[in-house]
Amino acid sequence: MSGSSMRLITLLITLSLCLFITELKAEKITVYTYQNAPFAEQTDNNHRGMIIEIVAELFTRAELDYEVVFNPLKRGLTMTARSPNVCVLPIERTQQRESDFVWVGPVLISRYGLFSDTKNSIPLVTLHDAREYSIGTFLGSGISEYLVSFSHEVQLTSADNLNLKKLQKGRIDLWAAELITAKSIMMQTNIRLGEPELIYHTSLRAMACNKGLEKVKHRALMDGLKSMYQDGFMQKINTAYGVSL
Amino acid sequence: MQKLISSFSLFNTILLCPFLVFSSFVFPQSSLTSKDIQWLETEFQPSTLSLDQQKEELTWFKTVSKPFKGKTIRVVSERIYTHQYESEVLAKAFYDLTGIHVIHELTNEDDVIKKLSAQLMTDQPLYDAYINDSDLIGSLFRQQHVKSITAILSQYEKDYTLPTLDLADFIGLAFTTGPDGQIYQLPDQQFANLYWYRSDWFSNANYQRQFENKYGYPLGVPQNWQAYEDIANFFSNDIGSINGVKVYGHMDYAKSDPSLGWRISDAWLSMAGVGDKGLPNGLPVDEWGIRVEDCHPVGASIERGGALNSPAAVYAIEKYKQWLSLYAPPEAMELAFSEAGDWAAKGNIAQQIFWYTAFVRDFTQSDLAVMNKDGTPKWRVAPSPVGKYWQKGMKSGYQDTGSWTFLNHTEEKQQLAAWLYAQFVVSKTVSLKKTIVGLTPIRQSDIDSDYLTERAPYLGGLVEFYRSQARNVWTPTGTNVPDYPGMAGFWWQSISQIMEGKLTVKAGLDQLASNLDEYLIQLQTQNLTCGPKVNPKVNPQIWLDRPLSPKRQIDTEQKGKTLTYKEAINVWQ
Repeated sequence: MSGSSMRLITLLITLSLCLFITELKAEKITVYTYQNAPFAEQTDNNHRGMIIEIVAELFTRAELDYEVVFNPLKRGLTMTARSPNVCVLPIERTQQRESDFVWVGPVLISRYGLFSDTKNSIPLVTLHDAREYSIGTFLGSGISEYLVSFSHEVQLTSADNLNLKKLQKGRIDLWAAELITAKSIMMQTNIRLGEPELIYHTSLRAMACNKGLEKVKHRALMDGLKSMYQDGFMQKINTAYGVSL
Repeated sequence: MQKLISSFSLFNTILLCPFLVFSSFVFPQSSLTSKDIQWLETEFQPSTLSLDQQKEELTWFKTVSKPFKGKTIRVVSERIYTHQYESEVLAKAFYDLTGIHVIHELTNEDDVIKKLSAQLMTDQPLYDAYINDSDLIGSLFRQQHVKSITAILSQYEKDYTLPTLDLADFIGLAFTTGPDGQIYQLPDQQFANLYWYRSDWFSNANYQRQFENKYGYPLGVPQNWQAYEDIANFFSNDIGSINGVKVYGHMDYAKSDPSLGWRISDAWLSMAGVGDKGLPNGLPVDEWGIRVEDCHPVGASIERGGALNSPAAVYAIEKYKQWLSLYAPPEAMELAFSEAGDWAAKGNIAQQIFWYTAFVRDFTQSDLAVMNKDGTPKWRVAPSPVGKYWQKGMKSGYQDTGSWTFLNHTEEKQQLAAWLYAQFVVSKTVSLKKTIVGLTPIRQSDIDSDYLTERAPYLGGLVEFYRSQARNVWTPTGTNVPDYPGMAGFWWQSISQIMEGKLTVKAGLDQLASNLDEYLIQLQTQNLTCGPKVNPKVNPQIWLDRPLSPKRQIDTEQKGKTLTYKEAINVWQ
């Protein structure tokens, strides 16, 4: 084969590859999230919160088109497992879930604490010390499964903010909550519990995508996220939302 | 067993009480409080140290930790009894002794690795120390994110190193040492993957006669994979049921899950004989089938001089799949590591080629079907059999040590406080008690202790294994793997496609080898110490025609070989 024919073939292959990648990138990705102030909130048609800002930056850097849809967490997970080009966040990335999705993360690093009522201090040295107390958390939260797995007595509510009232009425001894969410709920309800008795768990939260997500998109998203950590974007946004590790 | 331990502690307490009262007068210089003495008295017995020596160790911790009083440190480890004991009991004792608050978090093994990777990616101080398997040694010495134990010891030799740390007493130090001679991690707990079998069934005269009549050699501890297969067939098909209960000659798992990858990457290929000779790992080709030349990884595929898709590797995975479908309970295909762990304890499994000694505690609970009334188990562990490509001088099975890992970017005072906690939980004051609780020994002195001699008959062969030379031939993933967290995920993704029948064994291993080669090529762009320099692809026959690994196909079958338990252990004396 002559050199010019080879060059022509190479050019054609490169062009079709580029077209293929462009076509892949053009397909919109649906990103599910859920009401979880201050990380993600939907008011009328407005989306706001730390997650919304992270997603916007991430998809811009990855040069991928996307739309954010608010849905309950369970529905978001089901849709992501079923449909291609769908992702959901923030999801706790765990060994059990690892093979169910393709992951982009960490997008959030969360710490969990045990809060007691202000008039009833419960000093704790280890998580084990809390085993004699009843702990409130909410339905579907990963942290409730974590505590139950260590044989803690866990009481579940339908929404996390209800635990504050239960704590005040003495129906639970401790409230297990993500620190930033707890701060937000305390501000909303104007109930100040002070510092947690024990900050006992750190979790990595990520964006879980359908297993069929093309490699090229996954790579673009991972590269985008990595650059957000490297150039200080993530540090800045964490600070803006009062997240400090 | 828990009851036995409790009564032992009570017995010791009664014996020790008068001495403790006496000693508090004899050693007035000790700064230990009554609470500290109480920990010694009620918790840290037995020990290989005398009571005076224990008091000296605790006094040292109390004195040197003063500048760190009031600090909170965070450490994370996987979720096994040993670490549970540390997080619930030892962290509290350390707090009482030093005033340093330790949040010792427990999570799944894969999550520990993910958290370590996330800390490196985000540069956030998530934890002050990690306890993770020494499988990462190839990554640690190449990527230089870790402050080595050698560096810590040299920097803080006088001020913050426990005088009785006694590094030479740690049995797993070879696993945590890089080719540069630096010790990168401090062992915290150690476990092995051994052969597990029902010694009561194997000693049954009827079964012995039936087996020998059919297979032509005695029913005993299998020394090769052919014997394991014959025994599997014997119990699953020839015997079929015992006392009306269906029995199986093999147990394993194959659910699509990260743990399926570890099953194979841990040592399955090395047991088959895929790699080269050399300890603790094959050299130049290791148990992952990765070839290293002059410390640089050069490829995993046979096209580049590796052995991951070689005939020996195909043999290894074909046997894994075949044994699962022919001899294991049908549910095995749907189980992950954590779900499959307790199956053999139900009483209907005859043998398991690759069984974690971290389960010994679970399997010695008195109410189990696999326990005798006198508290001895009906089962035993012994060194696992090897496949037809295996040769003497090669590693033979998997053993790892969960070890303390300190990252370079951790703030110095936080790191020092964590270093003190690490030394505390491996100190001779507490290490024998920790070994009794979790049965994951790390110190030679504990293994040699009178206490473990007395307990040996109740631990199914665990003590005999650790007192044999076999413990040097059962080793973790070696230094040929340059990025364990980045590369481990490829295993389960390809192996699960093979197990689900989506790919043939050869096609799945070709895919896996190609993925690892591509990853090694990507790593070439990073500035790693001893980074990959991947070989160009050539006709695999060129490599197969050379001696050593990758090895040419062996078409002859093995003849099954078994030994009595005593002989099987004596092989490794």
